[in-house]
Amino acid sequence: LGHGSGGVLTNKLLDSGVFKILSNPLLDERHDGALINLEGKTAFSTDSFLVSPIFFPGGNIGELAVNGTVNDLAMCGAIPKYLSLSFIIEEGLTMTEFWEILLSIKCACEKAGVTVVTGDTKVVEKGKGDKIFINTSGIGSIHPKANISSKRIKIGDKIIISGNIASHGMAIMSVREGLQFESEILSDTTNLNHTISALLDTFGDGIHLLTDPTRGGIATVFKEIAQHNGVGIDIFQSELPIDNQVSNACELLGLDPIYVANEGLFISFVDESIADDFLKTLRNDDNGTQANIIGTVVETHPKQVIMESVIGGKRVVNMLPGEQLPRIC
Amino acid sequence: MHKTYKITLKGQVQGVGFRPFVFSLALKHGLFGEVYNNAVGVIVHLNASSKQLHDFINELLLNPPISSIIKSHQIEVIEFKVFLNFNIITSKKDTQLNIPLTPDFATCAACKTDLLNAENRRIHYPFTTCVNCGPRYAITTKFPFEREHTSLSNFSMCSNCQSEYENPKNRRFHSQTNSCPDCGVQLTLVDTSGNPYESSQQQLLQKVSDLLNRGHIVAIKNTNGYVLCCDANHEKAIKSLRHKKKRPTKPFALLYPDLKCIKSQFNVTEQEENALTSSVAPIVILPIQNEINNLKTELVAPNLKHLGVMLPSSALLCLLMDTYKKPIIATSGNTHGSAIHFANDEAARELKSIADYFLHHNLDIQFPQDDSVLKFSSEQQIIIRRSRGLAPNYLDIEIKDAEPILAMGAHLKSTFAYVPNHYIYVSQYFGNLDNYEVLTRFQSTITKYIDLFDCIPKTLLIDAHPQYQSSLIGKELSEKWNTKLTQIQHHKAHFASVLGEHDLFEADEAVLGVIWDGTGLGDDSNIWGGEFFSYHNHQMNRLTHFDYFDWIAGDKMAEEPRLSLLSLTSELHKQSIQHKFSDTEWTIYNKLLQNNTLKTSSVGRLFDAMASLLNLIDLSTYEGEAAMLLEQCALDYKEKNYIDFLECNSYNKVPSKTIIQQAFNALQNGTTKERIAASFIHTMAAAIICIVNKNQIKAIACSGGVFQNAFLLSRLKALTKNTSLMLKFNRKLSPNDENISFGQLMYYTHIKV
Ligand SMILES: [Fe+3]
Ligand SMILES: [Mg+2]
Ligand SMILES: [Zn+2]
Ligand SMILES: [Zn+2]
Repeated sequence: LGHGSGGVLTNKLLDSGVFKILSNPLLDERHDGALINLEGKTAFSTDSFLVSPIFFPGGNIGELAVNGTVNDLAMCGAIPKYLSLSFIIEEGLTMTEFWEILLSIKCACEKAGVTVVTGDTKVVEKGKGDKIFINTSGIGSIHPKANISSKRIKIGDKIIISGNIASHGMAIMSVREGLQFESEILSDTTNLNHTISALLDTFGDGIHLLTDPTRGGIATVFKEIAQHNGVGIDIFQSELPIDNQVSNACELLGLDPIYVANEGLFISFVDESIADDFLKTLRNDDNGTQANIIGTVVETHPKQVIMESVIGGKRVVNMLPGEQLPRIC
Repeated sequence: MHKTYKITLKGQVQGVGFRPFVFSLALKHGLFGEVYNNAVGVIVHLNASSKQLHDFINELLLNPPISSIIKSHQIEVIEFKVFLNFNIITSKKDTQLNIPLTPDFATCAACKTDLLNAENRRIHYPFTTCVNCGPRYAITTKFPFEREHTSLSNFSMCSNCQSEYENPKNRRFHSQTNSCPDCGVQLTLVDTSGNPYESSQQQLLQKVSDLLNRGHIVAIKNTNGYVLCCDANHEKAIKSLRHKKKRPTKPFALLYPDLKCIKSQFNVTEQEENALTSSVAPIVILPIQNEINNLKTELVAPNLKHLGVMLPSSALLCLLMDTYKKPIIATSGNTHGSAIHFANDEAARELKSIADYFLHHNLDIQFPQDDSVLKFSSEQQIIIRRSRGLAPNYLDIEIKDAEPILAMGAHLKSTFAYVPNHYIYVSQYFGNLDNYEVLTRFQSTITKYIDLFDCIPKTLLIDAHPQYQSSLIGKELSEKWNTKLTQIQHHKAHFASVLGEHDLFEADEAVLGVIWDGTGLGDDSNIWGGEFFSYHNHQMNRLTHFDYFDWIAGDKMAEEPRLSLLSLTSELHKQSIQHKFSDTEWTIYNKLLQNNTLKTSSVGRLFDAMASLLNLIDLSTYEGEAAMLLEQCALDYKEKNYIDFLECNSYNKVPSKTIIQQAFNALQNGTTKERIAASFIHTMAAAIICIVNKNQIKAIACSGGVFQNAFLLSRLKALTKNTSLMLKFNRKLSPNDENISFGQLMYYTHIKV
């Protein structure tokens, strides 16, 4: 892509393709920006996506970019509506790859019920990017029953995870490192907005906080929340749902799954009184079949995350700045 | 001409019977005056002529109380005061504390006699102590050392005890821990539901003895924390203890009734005997020479040919063992990886999944400590764990005019070192800081020290590894206190620890630092562990190291010796180790090796690889297992026909892979694994000699966990014998990561950067 042809031409060519595939009335206006009507409280979120490889078992960068922003909005208690979409493409990406990404973007948008209303495409010289970078921003209006804020976390809250941990990170790693496990590990990237919306319909402000534990894994999310809100968090290792294959792969590689990245997964801090019903409802959703109560917000050890380990003993959980480096002597 | 003299005595002089000793001495010399403890030590005011003073001081220094260590004494003339007698007066704390914290002392011989003497009013009293023995550090709440500054302040002395306390002729004159059956600490024996066993205090130990005999596990509250005990010859009990403690193979320590009993089962050297019977009463690791009857050694220490044994460290254990008369297993009262329990309710809650019965008592423990562990390599004492009886003073160096410093140490074998005054305090061993209870204990002990000395450090020292818990807390504390924070590389700290122990910082000539351990983050972001440094004139440089090899699979590599072997095996021999892996593992790990970027020079992993190569172990179940098995295998080689796997002239960096390749060749040529193990360690020792000669250095200082290996030490000693080379090891501190905190301190105060 872009090889031998001028940047301007390429951008135009790409633009026309993008417009064709993602066509919708707002986008078709081809204005400098989209004109949209918003009512009530609105959530606005943005994220850039860089993933290597761009195609991985269970998905590609395109749907990741849509789901990422859709889910970030959903975590705010919003119903995602409109997206912006920008590409930075490195010379050398093939047309076929690009169209495939674009098609899965379209597909993911349809699934999530969002529309791309504005966007941009830039091509950079070879070596100045990594095949393709995607930025998406999104807007959505807050669910009428939602009252989500980390300030609402309180002692006794139950912590519920929607599904298996570490699948996405291990899927990416297995392709990147060329590791052949017994069967292929699939990323679980998906949109969570419908699931969340349904939970908000039923449980409203019994849901205190929603968060998606992407980079840094669940450990990092918990530590951030504990530190930021001055509460203690207890996690029970035995309750953590994890796919057998993923668990074996982590074990084999000496990785701790609580530090491995996730997609299509969310964590809810809910009022103690609704925890069991919440779990039941969530488990009936396609995105929550493996859901489980994995922890509690506690008064002891403020700012600390403690994991009750399977072999016994309480482990201190921290954020992971960068790679896991060996510490055992 | 009589003058009033003020004598200031510094060192380990409180809680050791110093004031009563001075009192009796003054009486003997017919001198008037007073003695008291203050924040810097013991102060004596004395009216005397210069000759009288001279005689008095001479005798004092010549024959001080057995548990005291006088670091300095100072005499000055003060304004004349009139004294009409000699008095012990209550402590004065006028300035910031500047004294060592007295360690715990095992029960002395005189007290042991009292315990078993039917005529003595303390017969069978499990908390018998005197000025020479008993808990000190473990029960300290404040200083100076006075009864009201210890947990014994909850007990008031009966009239008998009080009169002993006041009688200059009594061994318990001014003994702050004085108590007796009428006024002292009480035992309670309960089951896991807390139901008490009703009986006289005296019969409780008989009952515990019966329980042990019947194969029960009893959690006993010793003066330094809980110990889990069971019979050492009761298969079911030991298996149950292993199962419940989730400790399948790690060796247990044994508590023996007396030295005679130990000697009937082991050949004990003079040094070992001295250590066993010292006031530290540590666990001493003794080789098993002959089969031991009535002891399930294969369950106590599976696959090992040595055992850790100790003698009772308290009157309570003396009495129990006097009743029981056979060795028992006595292991730290904790759950998997956690800190030793010391509070009754907490122990009852946390240990009820392990113990069948609890022997509690009502003396509060302030500073819980594990038992200390040490062993000997011929003349050399190797400390494996520095805790009860040894912690927290490091008395060999007096610090002058240093700003207050707190050094946070390492991660897995955590300790901290603190300089609030002229002394260095190196805390007891805490354990793996990943464990929440250990971390909490570590932090709360720091807080207690800060309170005790009323001194917030101005500088905090941490390891360069950003993921050590100690580094993370160090950062937090430095923000909280707004202090300077300095990172110190792990192996440089190890080196500084041994330089500090031997006072080599001012040495005229360069010193070679040989620092071998498992892991530490290096300056180049690789995992170091096979390092050679030079030190001279306050500069430290990395001279060379073991050739880098791949570090794969994170912490798992340290747990699976077969992974180290894979990383170090050349294509030539790869086939012969494939059977150690499943097909998936084999492809995955080989793939990891292809793409790997993290490199290591770890000698710990080289030892692991060799242990796996000799089929001694592929997967470890506890830390240090592979190294222990390799050491043992080498010790089994009784000839002296070692092969040197390397040629000194052929390398600059020690070629790690060549060593493994040569060992493979030797194995294929039919060389016995014992000879290969011994030759490997010999090769390692020879590599040190090679490097030291190449760099024309005369002094060698070794540190790092690898130097817990007695065979390595003895080979090194053999190779340096009859040479002009000087060889130094850690001696008062452990060579392992327990010395990192002290090393950080030494590095910071002595190395110019
Ligand atoms: Fe180390
Ligand atoms: Mg985001
Ligand atoms: Zn005594
Ligand atoms: Zn009494």
